[in-house]
Amino acid sequence: MSELPLHGIRVLDLSWIIAGPTATRFMAAMGAEVIKVGSARRPDPSTRGPAFQAYNQSKLYASLNISTTEGLALVKQLLVVSDVVIENFAAGVIERLGLGYEVVSAVRPDIIMVASSGTGHSGPHKDYVAYGSLLQHYTGWNSISGYPGREPVTGGLWADPWVGMELAMVTAAALNNRALTGQGQYVDFSMAEALSATIPEAVLDYQMNGRVKEPLGNRDDWYAPHGVYHCVGADRWVAIAVTNDAEWVSLCQLIHRPDLAADPMYADAAGRHEHRDHLDAAITAWTIQHEDHEAMQLLQRAGVPSGPSQDILRVFNEPQLREAGYFTELQTSDGELRDLPGLPWRLEGGPGPYLTEAPVLGQHNAYVYQELLGLPETEVDRMIEDQIIY
Amino acid sequence: MLDVGQGISGPYCAKILAQMGAEVIKVEPPEGDAARHMGPFPGDDPHPEKSGLFLALNANKYGVTLDLASPGGAEAFRKLAASADIIIENPPPVSLADLGLGYDALQNINPGLILASITPFGNRGPYKDFKATDLVLYHMSGHAHGLLGAVEDPDSDPPIRAGGHQAELVGGMAAATAAMMALYRKRITGEGARIDISSFEAMVTQLISGLANSAYGRPAPPRDLSKVEEAAIGGMVGAIGGILPCSDGYVAISPREDAQWERWLLVMDSPAWATDDRYSTRDARQKNSPSLWKLLSEWSINRSKHEISRMGQEQRVPCFPVNTVLDLLSDEHLAHREFFVEIEHPAAGTLKYPGAAYRFSGTELPLAARPAPLLGEHNMSILKNLV
Repeated sequence: MSELPLHGIRVLDLSWIIAGPTATRFMAAMGAEVIKVGSARRPDPSTRGPAFQAYNQSKLYASLNISTTEGLALVKQLLVVSDVVIENFAAGVIERLGLGYEVVSAVRPDIIMVASSGTGHSGPHKDYVAYGSLLQHYTGWNSISGYPGREPVTGGLWADPWVGMELAMVTAAALNNRALTGQGQYVDFSMAEALSATIPEAVLDYQMNGRVKEPLGNRDDWYAPHGVYHCVGADRWVAIAVTNDAEWVSLCQLIHRPDLAADPMYADAAGRHEHRDHLDAAITAWTIQHEDHEAMQLLQRAGVPSGPSQDILRVFNEPQLREAGYFTELQTSDGELRDLPGLPWRLEGGPGPYLTEAPVLGQHNAYVYQELLGLPETEVDRMIEDQIIY
Repeated sequence: MLDVGQGISGPYCAKILAQMGAEVIKVEPPEGDAARHMGPFPGDDPHPEKSGLFLALNANKYGVTLDLASPGGAEAFRKLAASADIIIENPPPVSLADLGLGYDALQNINPGLILASITPFGNRGPYKDFKATDLVLYHMSGHAHGLLGAVEDPDSDPPIRAGGHQAELVGGMAAATAAMMALYRKRITGEGARIDISSFEAMVTQLISGLANSAYGRPAPPRDLSKVEEAAIGGMVGAIGGILPCSDGYVAISPREDAQWERWLLVMDSPAWATDDRYSTRDARQKNSPSLWKLLSEWSINRSKHEISRMGQEQRVPCFPVNTVLDLLSDEHLAHREFFVEIEHPAAGTLKYPGAAYRFSGTELPLAARPAPLLGEHNMSILKNLV
């Protein structure tokens, strides 16, 4: 592959906060020209912190107040030269702004419009206001996560990033369709459904067995041993998952417990599952003598799936990511050089991802309005003055 | 598309392509995909044609069995590969390269082939040969710390993974995203691609906001509740939101902005304590969240989760009932959107499966085109006709 896959595609990005910007970050890093449009009148809430630097890598950023008549006209001019437009406002907002699919597709008939909202754009609860963390509760996703018998978990940044990647996938699917048929499409995306689609085991368990699945902590329905085990140091743990009998025998040898490997009571997963508390104690007696990364090295050498339970700062410093070239040093808007994240895939023998620092609002106004739309500089200056390009 | 994957990540990638309309042929070893032995099963009785996980991941695909280590099996595979647009694999146990069927060999017979390989850590870095499962990836990537959030005693409450197999699904979604983009390029230029996907990096990429905080020298959010000063993004602690006990379960609320909080007070009929300095600003609510949540809980406990979420949404306050899968299957909104799709399977019977999160204008997705294949179901119809 000589060019990045989305080379030549232009994306008009009306999205904000996390999910939409995550999607367009994937597209930008894979070669699309992403023009993020925002306004100082109603700033993207994610501009508040460093997160913005990650969510908006590789994009162009133009300022535009689309609630003005002239601003709306400029959006339409941008639509004419765009392949994709993406938005993630609450359902109905984009229509009230005068940018519903009927309007958008009249301006550019083969455009792909991707619209993501909490509960989708049809149905009795389409107007429900949502945050990703709430949708994790609404969709049953959190109902199978947590410690058994306790209150539901409330943490976890999951819904938005997951939806972000899925939106990028869906957009690429629509681009494929356009390449074949020449036609654009409107895509109605529901964040809630994206989450409910990821728990098929629980949905089918209920239908098969009448059972409302309870959370299991770190344990598994079938495999054992399966959990995190205390290592040297406060709040240090190594995760170990034994998925077959051979791994079990290797683990017993490593922790100097050949008696457990020889005991027929633990010879299969069902027996180990039944006696998991006892086995967990035996494993902890070994792990507590080791640092978590050291335990992983020893376990992996023995062929046992394992790894430390890490906080985000340790992930940032993870040798695996460093040596695999996951980070790229970029100059953030404060002038400092910082290591920022990349993509989870590599195009072998092809170009690397396009990764640049996140822009600041209005940084690319000249390119977007003068070069791309061909407006005279005096006209742009007037619209800045009138708080349209704002 | 050929799905040589086993277990979860590879087959999930192929499932996505199948529900987008691709003709997906699942190539299983003669003994079957490992997922056939993963639950749930009817009556908790393992049966290779009745695994709920396998059925969900492999609906809408055709299925053949091939022993790729045998000359005949490899030859049949090369014939299938010659006309494939995309092949997905997620070794171990099956690595096409180890079988002499890697990218270089297949590219000779199909120059425009897209080969996507998912492994736990990718083909690079010190852990490239390490084994990992969903549990391991969830913990290593930082998600387990975030999901549980802060606790009173970190040494007795270790971090936990999410239910299901989220880390493996993320690896599969990353592969589908990259493959779909590569397929677009192929349609424009005819070029193929070899894509290497790391499930670990896919999980890490879900937390780029946290990585950005680290890049700015910020500490990781503490796991010790007594050390929490500000609520983390996405988490629901204190002023950001949380769950309230109800007469029939829980409701999740998040009146995090001042305007939302004002409207939430209307939902509660403007309680007298609302004007107290301890609760009048977001910072104050964060500082005094234990006593605040006690007051909120005293109000919520006598009302149902649906009643509270309806009252909240009427005031445009983000709030939702805390649901189980049972609630989902009877949810009127999901029913109206026909989210669940019913598929009849010859061994497992008729079941409702979660559908897709997206609807394309003018195109109906083939979400219930056929049930997951029986082992070797299409050997006759597909393998017999190979030329």
